Amino acid sequence: MLIPAHYHEPLLTPNAARSVEAAWTFVATTKGRALVLPDGRCDVIVRFNAHSDAAPVPVLTGPATQPYEVSFEAGDTWIGVRMRPGSGVAFWGDRLWQMADHAARGSDAIAALPELAAVIDMAPHTDALGRALLDLPAVAQAAPCGETLQAALDAQHLTGGRLAMASLARLSGCTTRHMGRLFQRAVGLSPKTYAQLVRFHRAVALLTDGHLTLTQTALEAGYADQAHMSRDVLRFGGFHPSALPAHLSQPGFFA
Amino acid sequence: MKLGYTIIYVADVPATVAFYEAAFGLTLKFIHDSNLYAEMLTGETTLAFAGNEAAEMSGFAVRPNTAKDLPAAWEICLVTDDVAAAYAHAITSGCTPLVAPVDKPWGQTVSYVRDLNGCLVEIASPVKG
Repeated sequence: MLIPAHYHEPLLTPNAARSVEAAWTFVATTKGRALVLPDGRCDVIVRFNAHSDAAPVPVLTGPATQPYEVSFEAGDTWIGVRMRPGSGVAFWGDRLWQMADHAARGSDAIAALPELAAVIDMAPHTDALGRALLDLPAVAQAAPCGETLQAALDAQHLTGGRLAMASLARLSGCTTRHMGRLFQRAVGLSPKTYAQLVRFHRAVALLTDGHLTLTQTALEAGYADQAHMSRDVLRFGGFHPSALPAHLSQPGFFA
Repeated sequence: MKLGYTIIYVADVPATVAFYEAAFGLTLKFIHDSNLYAEMLTGETTLAFAGNEAAEMSGFAVRPNTAKDLPAAWEICLVTDDVAAAYAHAITSGCTPLVAPVDKPWGQTVSYVRDLNGCLVEIASPVKG
């Protein structure tokens, strides 16, 4: 990629996008549903409905490897912060590994992160709520994940999750065993699962783009063949590569 | 169609530019504000360096160039009349020696080093005739 000398627009680089906790908001204007794809990151979310008196619900997620389908009514609102990969440990500590594909809701979420109790009272003021989530000590003070794990995560994304674990470890300057421990402790997933997620998201991006055939997509994304891609897309997305769901919601991180 | 640019993806663009200036005597043409892209003054066909992230931004996956891995199977070739001096200078400037200057039957002197990113660089004399 060439960048001309006279081009001065700020560039949001992938590493920069991965180096901050990302605040996000979703407000439903109509009844509907969305399929949220797993991206291996942890979220802290407050869900409420602007037209209802029901109490806001806090949700704290573990690293996701499964898609989930969300149904919503008009006025349903989610305010969330998506943690950097490697920062999930700030929510869950030693329990992170057990929290893969689990979430704590309501009083369970507050038990895990007591400061959430004061934050949910700010609903329905979305701006204040978003700021308060970013100011949560577990979010604002989440430590950087360390040079070796950062190198491994960067290499995962740079290579599209296509490297064998031994090569990935060599690029990151550590052994495969050590890399496995770093991922288990801070990401909550094995490096292999994380690689499969990165590869899956590249495949979905290529499928969404729609310029390649299924076979070409499978090979470019790093699958042995189309059947291999289909298995992974079914596992992580719950759909077939030839039938992209219309209500797909891609986490911005991978998009 | 004609060859316009050779763009090498690297972990650190400013560090690579500084290395190429010190080790090979090339001159920077410009570096982008983002530090993600730089061009060297190499005449009509530009040698450029782009940050690894630029590959990801373009939507493709690459195997990163690194001294820890096998070099990718292509090279850039720099031409000089004094190969022995250029080779020695490159090595004292941090290049990894690979093949010391050797005379080819067609009258050319060639040598090989690996740069800071592990990329193959040939230092050779011009081919005469």
